This record gives sequence, C-alpha cells and structure tokens, in this order.
Amino acid sequence: MGYIKIFTKSECPKCPAAKEIGGVLQREGLRVLYYDLETPDGLAEAAFYSVLSTPTIIVEDEDERVLAGWRGSVPTIQEIHGVIRAQ
Amino acid sequence: MISVVELRKRQREISAGDTTDMALFVRTSEESIEGWDRQRIVDALMRETFIDPDTAEAISREVEEIIRSSKINMVTAPLIRELVDAKLIERGLEEARRQHTRLGMPLYDVDQLIVHPNKENANVPHGPEATNLTLAETIKKEYALLEVFSQEVADAHMRGDIHLHDLGFIDRPYCSGQSLEYIKKFGLNLPNSISMAKPAKHPEVLLAHMVKFAAALQSHFAGAIGWDAVNIFFAPYLEGMGDAEVKQLAQMLIFEFSQQAVARGGQAIFTDLNLYWEVPKHFRDVEAIGPKGEFTGKTYKDYRTEAQRFVWALFEVYNEGDGAGRPFFFPKPLVHITEDFFITPGHEKFLHHICETASEKGNTYFVFDRGETAKISECCRLSFKLEASDLEDAKRPWKMRYSALQNVTLNLPRIGYISGRDDTRLFENISRFMEVAVKAHLEKKAFLERLLSLGEEGPLALLTMSQDGEPYLRMHRATYLIGMVGLNEMVKIHTGQEMHSSREAFKFGLKVIAHMKLLADKMSKKYGMRFVLEQTPAESTAYRFAKLDLRFHSPQAGHIVKGDIARGEVYYTNSTYLSNAAVINPIERVRQEGLFHPLIEAGSLTHIWLGEAKPSPESLANFVTKTFMHTQNDQIAFSPEFTTCNQCARTSRGLRERCPYCGSEDIDGITRITGYFTKISSWNKGKLGELRDRYRNQGFMKRKADGAEVEFT
Repeated sequence: MGYIKIFTKSECPKCPAAKEIGGVLQREGLRVLYYDLETPDGLAEAAFYSVLSTPTIIVEDEDERVLAGWRGSVPTIQEIHGVIRAQ
Repeated sequence: MISVVELRKRQREISAGDTTDMALFVRTSEESIEGWDRQRIVDALMRETFIDPDTAEAISREVEEIIRSSKINMVTAPLIRELVDAKLIERGLEEARRQHTRLGMPLYDVDQLIVHPNKENANVPHGPEATNLTLAETIKKEYALLEVFSQEVADAHMRGDIHLHDLGFIDRPYCSGQSLEYIKKFGLNLPNSISMAKPAKHPEVLLAHMVKFAAALQSHFAGAIGWDAVNIFFAPYLEGMGDAEVKQLAQMLIFEFSQQAVARGGQAIFTDLNLYWEVPKHFRDVEAIGPKGEFTGKTYKDYRTEAQRFVWALFEVYNEGDGAGRPFFFPKPLVHITEDFFITPGHEKFLHHICETASEKGNTYFVFDRGETAKISECCRLSFKLEASDLEDAKRPWKMRYSALQNVTLNLPRIGYISGRDDTRLFENISRFMEVAVKAHLEKKAFLERLLSLGEEGPLALLTMSQDGEPYLRMHRATYLIGMVGLNEMVKIHTGQEMHSSREAFKFGLKVIAHMKLLADKMSKKYGMRFVLEQTPAESTAYRFAKLDLRFHSPQAGHIVKGDIARGEVYYTNSTYLSNAAVINPIERVRQEGLFHPLIEAGSLTHIWLGEAKPSPESLANFVTKTFMHTQNDQIAFSPEFTTCNQCARTSRGLRERCPYCGSEDIDGITRITGYFTKISSWNKGKLGELRDRYRNQGFMKRKADGAEVEFT
C-alpha cells in the first residue's frame, strides 16, 4: 500500500472533515500525507495530480499509481477501506 | 540624426584670450547653423539638472577652455555634452550627469542598422520604415532605462536577471483584448481623427472599421490586438447573405489583416481572432447589436447559424492559404473548445474542418476552456481569464476590453547559477527577482498613469476616450505579467537533471512555478494590482539570457545553454517547456506541460512540431479531443514546416535546400517561431538553434495501412 494524499486549503468548508478522516486512517497505521495548497510544496503536488478543488483525497499504490481519488468531496472511511481492500 | 558642431575660427572676430568670441558654427539637430555661445551650456545645465548657477557657469568656462586649448578644427555636439558630463562626474554630480545624458546612437550603429536587418522581432521586415521603428525604439529604450525605471530595475535588466519587454514602446501598454461591439455600437470616432464614422450598416464597412481601429490600437499598444468572439459578433450583419458572399467577407478579413504591412515599421498587426462553434454561455442571452449600432431585438443565441457559416468560411480561406499557397501568418485563428462545443450540432464536422487546416497549414490554435472558464486569448499565448465581474460586463460586451500593461521575465537559469544548488537560496533568489519585477511594474504603471492623466491633450488620448462612460483603457482591469524563461535549465542546474528525465526533476519544476504563483498572488493582494504569471513567448529573450549567462557564468553556463555555442546559436528552453529535443510521445508532452498551465493564469501553449508530416485530420481531431478530456493543457498548436520558393512562388512541405518544383536555391523556410508563423530568414540565432533541436515527433507518427495518411500512434 502506498500513500494516501490529502489536499486542503485554509478557507475551505469541507477540508476539516478530510483532515479528520486522515487522522483516523493514520491511527489505523496507514501512511497519510497532507498538502496545503497555500505552500509551494502543496501547490506543486496538487498541480502534479491535477487537483483543482479542495479537499481532494488520492489513494496510491506502492508505485505511486493512483488507485482512487475524491475531488472536491469527502469520502467515507468505508469507501477508502473498500479501495484499499480491492488492491 | 547626430548633429555636428564645426569649430571654425573666424580670425578677424577673435580677440586673443577671449574664447567667448570664438566663432563656432554649430550644425544643430534643428538643421540650422548657430554660433558658439558658452551660455548655452549654462542654460542646458540649469534647464535639465538641479545644479546651482555658479557650478553651471564654472563648468561652461572649463569646457570652453578645453575646446580652445585643444586646437581641434571640428568637434561634435555630443562631444561638447560629453565634456560637460565629464566635468559633472569630476565634481561627483552623478545624478546631474544622468539628467544631462544625451540619448541616441553611434554613427556606425545607424549605418549598420540602415543596411542590415534587425532580427529582434521576426514580424518586422527590413526597410526604411523598419529602420525608423528601430531608431525610435532605441531612443525610447534608453529613455525608459534612464528615466522611467529606477537604477535597481534598469541594472537588473541590463545584467540579464530580468527582461523588461518592449522597452522601445515604453509609452504604451503591452497588449490588449478587444470587442467588436465597441465599434459596432459607437462607430469609428477616434480622438485626433479627421473624420468620424457612424456605426456600420454593412458587413464590409464593419470590417473596414475593424481594420482601421486595429491600426489605431496598434499605435497605442506594444503587442498583440486580440478580438473576442469575432464570428459571433459579425453574425447579425450576415443575415440573408449567400455562402459565396460570406466566403468573400471571410477572405477580405483574412487578407486585410495579413497584408497590413504598411503599418508600424512595415509590421503586420499582430492580430488574433477568437472564434467559437457554439455561442458561448456568457453571450447566449446578450442582446445582439446589428447594422447602424442598433439592437436587433434578438440575442446572440439566435445567430448561431450565421456565426457558424462565417467561422466555417474563415477556415476554408485559411485552408487555401495565400496567393502562393502559403499559410497566412496573421490574423491567427483561436478556436475555443468547451464542454458545450461537444454537444453543439455539427461539431464533429467542424472539428474535422479546422483540423484539416491545422494539418495542411498549421494555422489553428485550439484553446481549451474547461468548466466555467471563459477567456480571450491573444498574442503568442496570453489570455485574459474572465472573472465574475467580467461575465457581468458580458451583458454589455462593448465593455469587454482588457490589457496587460507590461511583461517582465525572470531569467530562471541565472537564479540557478547564483544559488549553488541550495534550496533555501534558490527560493530566496526567486522571491528577490520577483520583487524587482513587481517594482518594474509599479514604475511603468506610474509612468503610464502620468501620460493618461493628460487626457485628450496627451499622447494616449485614444486610450482615454470614454464613449461608454469609462476610459477605453480600463486600468482597474489591467494585468501585470511576470514571465519565465529556462525553467528546464534551472532545474538541470539545481538537480542535475532536465525535467523530462525524472519525476523528481519534473516535480521540482512544478514547485518553482508554484512558488512564483503564490508569490504573485500575495503581491497582488499587497498592491491591489493583478500580477499574473505568463509563459513568455521569449522570441529573443531566450537568446539574450543565454548569451549573457555565457558571459557572466562560464564555464558552468557552457554546459547548460542549449543550441550550438560555436555557431552562436544559443538559447534557453522557453518558459516551462520540456526540452525541445526530448523524444516524448506528443500526447504525453501535452499532458505533462499542461500540468503547469493551471498555475500560469495569463496563458500557456504547447507546440506539437510536425516537420514535413501531414497527419490526417481525424488523427488530429482525436488528439484535440483527448487533450480536452484528459489533460489540463490550456492551448495547443500543430506546426508543420514549409519551403517557399522566391523564384517560382510555389510552396512545398518540409524545410528543403532547394525548391522541389524548379530546383532554385532562392528559397525560404516557414514555420512557427514562437506563437506565430514567419519566414525563417528573419529568425534570430537563438531561435535557429532551437529549430535545429526541435523533435518533430517522427517516431510517434506512422503511415496508415493504405499508405495515404499519417496518424499519431
């Protein structure tokens, strides 16, 4: 399993919920990376994945291939688990 | 232009020791001969500088003494000024010396200029008008660097840290986007014009107004004049016209704009036509203006058929080419591809039609407006994205006129050289260069505001006319461009790899542009101005930066610059492009380069070099659709190459050493230099270096089984 990448901005109503999910996944032992679109690193990573809206959650495999992505919306924990199990 | 002062001693009038009476016959720039008068030096110093009368008097006496004791028979007026300047420097009066500077060119340079072509801009032919343009530009450039910009900004430009574009047009904004609705509604009523024309009643007259207005605008802007939704706004005039008449009008429009080589410096007006197959959302319910400038009682969505007939006819003309079968260099057709394009009846046929032109002649630019994006595109890739307030303006489309006041480009490889592969230093230096660019914008803005404040009596009267209640140039909507050259080489200096070589190098390039974008946003908030990134076309800047870096950062630069150093054909890769020579599948290049585009608000473009290949229209249509659906790329253009024969006037495919029809070696190549087509003989050395390196995608095109057509693989 690769990384789960969460892209957020400060003024974004749904972003706290995305970060909360990130926290839950981390506690489950999954590797989560957070990217703030107001920093060069975060914006560059967002550009690389064509992230145009926040929050966005992207699930990757070990080879950094995108398995699933939710753009501008927050999935449920179960949805993310579903993607990971299907791998 | 250099005035000559001849010193001739009229012996009988000179009394020993009194040089004031020495008779100097001065050939002045006013073309008269005047006698020597030391007081003139004093007057000039008092008028032009802030020094005190005693110092001015003392300097004039010292200069007079030098002339008297030198016993030379002839001196030049610039020499007298230089002697005065030397005296100012001796006294430590550096600011006074700056104020007292004479602008102009050495005799040798003028001679060279009159005889040899200037290749800074391939759109300027060689001729007396072009020479006038270059001479005027030279003086205005010097003026800008001495008087408009601070020493910090001017020095940064001279060193090649940054490039201040169009310094020779310092007293004008950079470029602009126009709406035909303005002349449809108000006619042609320009300040200082000797006659006024009421709104056009006939399409041919509207076209005439458009051409004349474009010429007037060209003399008030440094660069491109883009026209929004041309086929939509012409449509109300086309009702009842037969296909042949519409085609004739399309032909007139294209030939008018491609043969305007009588304007500034013999330069064709850099014209862009923004075109649509559908009626774009923001114009659909807008009241249409028709003949006599009157509302027709319909909205633009009611004119879709006429608009489509016109744009179809325009591409028929593009496809045929000029009288010799060559592609038209101007006006450039930019077709907007939107979600609605794909649900508008007839779009498949139209896409095939414009792809045929793209394959045959290369003219078509495909501009992608995804989601709610709407924009006016122009210049080599510049676009003005329309914001909420602009879409409100769309209800009164004559209001929709936009301008970029200036373009300042950063030399990214320079930042690489001086940062010693240290991340912190690199990003600090980018910020520092950006601050200088912003300072340059503030200084140009202040200068233009001074000229605009003179209103109808001033040099920019046309831009202050306010027929709709606000000045033609809407300063509150102006943008200030920050461009970049050589991201690829900066990444190579810093990481050791070019951007196409590794994911890390590519991502580092994205980080650099992300940093610039965030900084531009921050500065926009701070100053209440719109600083936006643009992919600088860099027709000559990529060459200039490479040359200057070879001078100041050798030997390192010798391993970095692209091109052929022995031939002097050196360049940096344009803006955020991947290496021109890299062998990359074209759709992958479009995708990768497109990842930068959302960060570059003021416009981007990816070139697909075709060489002599002529891919099938179906293959290009498929490519365009994929680009729209699966990438973030803002704009693409396919660029074939041609050879045109000066002897038999025929045009063939590919760049050749002799004409395949008549065998003549008196030929010229044609292809895209940056965002437009032109003859290769007019290219600067840097661009020639790039042309040699361009990968023409031959490995990704194959002939179909029937052998007739080429397609992308």
